[in-house]
Amino acid sequence: MSPEASEPAPTTPERAEPKAGPRAVPVFLLILLLGIVYGGMIYFDRASGWFDPQVYAPYHSASELALYQPPTGGLDLSRGKTVYDNICALCHNTDGTGKPNQAPPFVGSDWVLGSPNRMIRIPLVGLAGSVMVKDQQWNLAMPAMGAALSDDDLAAVLSYIRQSWGNKASVITPEQVKAVRAEIGNRTQPWSAQELEAIH
Amino acid sequence: MNYGPLLFLAAFFALASSWCGFVLAPQLQVGRLQQTNTLSGGATYPVARSGLAQQGLQVYRANGCAACHSQQVRQSGTVCDVMLTEAGTNELAVISALLRLKCGSPLTETERQAVSTGAGERAPPVMVFTEQDARGMLTRLPQRVRQGLTKPEADAAVKELTAAGAKAQTWIVPVGPDIARGWGRRRTVAEDFLFDYPVMPGEQRVGPDLANVGVRLPDPNWHLRHLYAPGTYEKASTMPPYRFLFEKRKVRQEPSPDALVLPPELAPEPGYEIVPKPAAIALAAYLTSLRADAPLYVAPLTVAPPAAPATNAPVASGATNAAPGAPAAK
Repeated sequence: MSPEASEPAPTTPERAEPKAGPRAVPVFLLILLLGIVYGGMIYFDRASGWFDPQVYAPYHSASELALYQPPTGGLDLSRGKTVYDNICALCHNTDGTGKPNQAPPFVGSDWVLGSPNRMIRIPLVGLAGSVMVKDQQWNLAMPAMGAALSDDDLAAVLSYIRQSWGNKASVITPEQVKAVRAEIGNRTQPWSAQELEAIH
Repeated sequence: MNYGPLLFLAAFFALASSWCGFVLAPQLQVGRLQQTNTLSGGATYPVARSGLAQQGLQVYRANGCAACHSQQVRQSGTVCDVMLTEAGTNELAVISALLRLKCGSPLTETERQAVSTGAGERAPPVMVFTEQDARGMLTRLPQRVRQGLTKPEADAAVKELTAAGAKAQTWIVPVGPDIARGWGRRRTVAEDFLFDYPVMPGEQRVGPDLANVGVRLPDPNWHLRHLYAPGTYEKASTMPPYRFLFEKRKVRQEPSPDALVLPPELAPEPGYEIVPKPAAIALAAYLTSLRADAPLYVAPLTVAPPAAPATNAPVASGATNAAPGAPAAK
């Protein structure tokens, strides 16, 4: 209440005590507030990264960050190489050239470059007896690797063998390995070359 | 105080919400940060600094280096380049693909900025480009044939070149003012500071950013000389000399191998030598250990294949210790 209001006014009767009543917020203020909230939400959506700890500016979201990951150079054979170097390279040599009286070569071998179905079978239960590789007679026993290697590892290492050292054959997927594994069931007897040659 | 409880609650919620925002949320985000792997090669990152460098961090802290030097590289965007590595056997198809894609001269940094921020007009992709240029381009492989694209555009270009029998790759290139200054190759992220305590990202840039100073200036002897006499090595430097980290002493029998090799105007009188104290050696070790340029998932970039020498190649310290035109201190 202002002090003037308490002074007697000669011409008008005494006014009633002013009271605070409800008063509507001006419409322009509401619109302004809504506009600010709207802009804030847009800014939040663009700049927050939804609080993902992996998302730093200038990226806006986890999906944008995933988009900008550098390509691995087409096919990633690193997993297959790891498996190969750990297991296969002991006998077949790190460059796939084989070792005399231990294991035949992979480079340019029809067994490697031929049907995937045939190739997948060999590491699963092994191969024994005489086999012709690159016009050379081998008579050795390849041990079974099916129990030791997962479908993913087998697919990776077989793809690595089919794509390395100048070999250019199709990639083998884990699904193919899984299918062949199911097909041969619980066989533990190693293959003979004749059996495999019947498979295409 | 009619509204005591209400005021208390209001104050409580105001403080609690800012505590949640400034303390709790960052703790939830990066509080349990672990070592991660780099994108290329999958090496563990970061590795702890050497013991000497960790002592140097405390010297850095004690001398207030962080008051004038930041350790954070900003990045305003990420663009993609198309890198042509091999032309393949069908040269005509590759050349026609290059012409179709309007490959050409590199973008300038401003054009890159415009592309990355989406500001202004997209840099015109049409360059001066003829079949002659394309043939010349194929003689200088590997080469960036297009620059400053978005990821989908770059992937499409790579696909087209691959279809023509060439080998091409999308390169991820971070851009920004700090990167243009050569202060880093990507933005700094929380991982870069994982083993540092305290973290000193700095807030002012009276001097240059130091996040990657170990890459730019890998020679600890340079850092020692620069700490002793900053203006001699950086003409425009306003950095004060830190001579109390050094000791002037009489040469006893043999000059110390650690003695600074200084230009004649700074060299002490004959029979004396300037030797860094252990704190200075630790600080130089810390400075040369500063590098934050490994490609990470959170801050991707494409690094050149190892055929090109990496920037962290150690510089032969004996060769660089000699200041130009300075006789060896005796």
